[in-house]
Amino acid sequence: MKAFGAYLSRYLASFTGIVLLLVLANLIAFGWTFYGVITKDHGSISPQTMLMETAEAVTLDGFTEEAAEKLKDNHIWAIYLDANGNRVWDIDAPEHIQSRFTIQDVAQFSKGYLADYPVFVWNTNDGLLVLGYPKDSYMKITSNYLSLRAIKTMPVFVSGMFALDFILLFAAYYFSKRKIIRKTEPIIASIEALSTGKSVSLSVDGELSEVAGSVNRAANLLSRQNTARANWISGVSHDIRTPLSVIMGYAGRIAQESTASIRTREEAETISRQSVQIKELIQDLNLVSQLEYEAQPIRKTSVRLSALVRSYLAELLNAGVSDAYTIELDFAPNAEAVFVDCDARLISRAVNNLVQNSIRHNPSGCAIVLRLICAATSVSLCVADNGVGLSEEKQRELQEVPHYMESIDERLDLRHGLGLLLVRQIVLAHNGTMTIESVPQKGCQITMDFPIETF
Amino acid sequence: MNHSFLQGKKLLLVDDEQELLKMVTTILKDDGFEHIILASSVKEGVEAAKKEKPDLAVLDIMLPDGDGFSLMRQIRSFTNVPVIFLTAKDEAVDKLAGLGLGADDYIAKPFLPQEFVLRVYAVLRRCYKEEAPLIQLEASMIDFSRAEVNRDGETLALTAKEHTLLETLARNEGKIVTIDALCEALWGDNPFGYENSLNAHIRRVREKIEADPSKPVSLITVKGLGYKLMTRK
Repeated sequence: MKAFGAYLSRYLASFTGIVLLLVLANLIAFGWTFYGVITKDHGSISPQTMLMETAEAVTLDGFTEEAAEKLKDNHIWAIYLDANGNRVWDIDAPEHIQSRFTIQDVAQFSKGYLADYPVFVWNTNDGLLVLGYPKDSYMKITSNYLSLRAIKTMPVFVSGMFALDFILLFAAYYFSKRKIIRKTEPIIASIEALSTGKSVSLSVDGELSEVAGSVNRAANLLSRQNTARANWISGVSHDIRTPLSVIMGYAGRIAQESTASIRTREEAETISRQSVQIKELIQDLNLVSQLEYEAQPIRKTSVRLSALVRSYLAELLNAGVSDAYTIELDFAPNAEAVFVDCDARLISRAVNNLVQNSIRHNPSGCAIVLRLICAATSVSLCVADNGVGLSEEKQRELQEVPHYMESIDERLDLRHGLGLLLVRQIVLAHNGTMTIESVPQKGCQITMDFPIETF
Repeated sequence: MNHSFLQGKKLLLVDDEQELLKMVTTILKDDGFEHIILASSVKEGVEAAKKEKPDLAVLDIMLPDGDGFSLMRQIRSFTNVPVIFLTAKDEAVDKLAGLGLGADDYIAKPFLPQEFVLRVYAVLRRCYKEEAPLIQLEASMIDFSRAEVNRDGETLALTAKEHTLLETLARNEGKIVTIDALCEALWGDNPFGYENSLNAHIRRVREKIEADPSKPVSLITVKGLGYKLMTRK
């Protein structure tokens, strides 16, 4: 109803304008065409004028030549009756017009026709002047009366009718316009969605079905391209995995080989570490592209975040972390029992990326804290370290500059870590928000806020 | 934990990448496994499984003449051998696990050799556990088959919960097991609110296995996270 009100106020003014314009156009058209016809009825040969002029020029005894001429010119005949209804004289009266009239006759023709001639009468002092116009030149209204009440209510009636007409017209205007908007709305929404790269499917029938079809085809094309891109990335990452397994296998073996020199073992260790990085990069790349193109559905389950973080940390510590790093948990008591609907694997992945970032950017070691804080409507999962932190410039870059996966810019130097992009994607996929806080040389803290159901 | 009895097990590896087979064989041999059979297609895999009767099969999912799943179905039609799948798609891992195909584990490529070997041991130990009933700790020895702890010639019985607790920790020997995983092992799904009970069980287990329960050296607390069991090498 509110929308209706807004709609009314928005369109009523323009609609009123249109109606006024219509009325004006009518008046002009009327003046142009019909006015001439009407004025003729009231001009010099109209019954009114003709009667008045002729009456002044005639008496019981006869008529002036001038008046007779004028009547003849206009094919009008005239008779003059005395008080007893006897024809005293005539000008060109047709032959079958009688010479004596009863008062019934007079009453009848003065209101209407005399032998099918429209006639008009004028009272003079001596008698009655009757002018007969040619047949079919005038129509006489024989019942020319209205009650006073009808005359008085006429303005109300007419304005009421106009108001009703106005409302009906507006309703027609409103509904036709609304119908169009209703039909175009999904199309416009789809085009907007398309422009953000989302996939759409429209079903519109009627006149706009062709437009909807085009939008659908565009969406289809876009989604096919996205799928192809995601598949391509997934295919490449798939093909890298097997050779990388072999590299990691032998590097790991050489690193453990007691007969090899220390240097060889250290180098093998480096190959191993770098291979793990490639592995994580492929995984991230694949996951980012899947999330980006929505090729991978998120499998949300009710997850106890505290347990998830503990399990992640246990796995990390079990796999082995250098002694230069300490990783601690700091869970608020009320956050211990919080359940969040999320994809546990993706959340673990996000936490891991943040922790690995802290480790990578602080090669000389740092203290990492995994924090869980519960607020009224959200829960914050936060990874903080006391390491080198990020410069303001770098922070701004992270917030503003698109990653190369999203960038169409050739400036490679603007590209930043895939790991953080994935974290952002994961957080967004869970309707959450990510904030980066950092003080150079003091540390860095990245917080992921997820909405929770209030209990 | 002593792995020697597991190293005698016969392993079947099926993958069409010769280099990968060679590498995995090397890693396993380095670790002491001696009986390793190789195959590089579904057909060869089925034949090898029939002829050699392996104790564990490690199967790649993508094979030239079919997939690892059908290979597993064929092998399972005549033997109950445990199966580990190797997959080159990381997103496939939990999808596969969810399928409930009856495989014992899934390993995503690429993997570190240590990780691979550990997963192989874990599956073997789970499937042939009756052969590993004794765990030697610093101050005591656990006999899982009899549910007993022997300490200084004294025999102490383990309750069912204590047995499960120690077994869970022993299976992940030297590794942190989270509070949540322990609670789940003891009380099943949704083990929320059992932390205090867990503490009580941990305390009683320490009284049985540690020389000084207030200074534990075998069952170690990892603050805020969980516990781990250290065995004597």
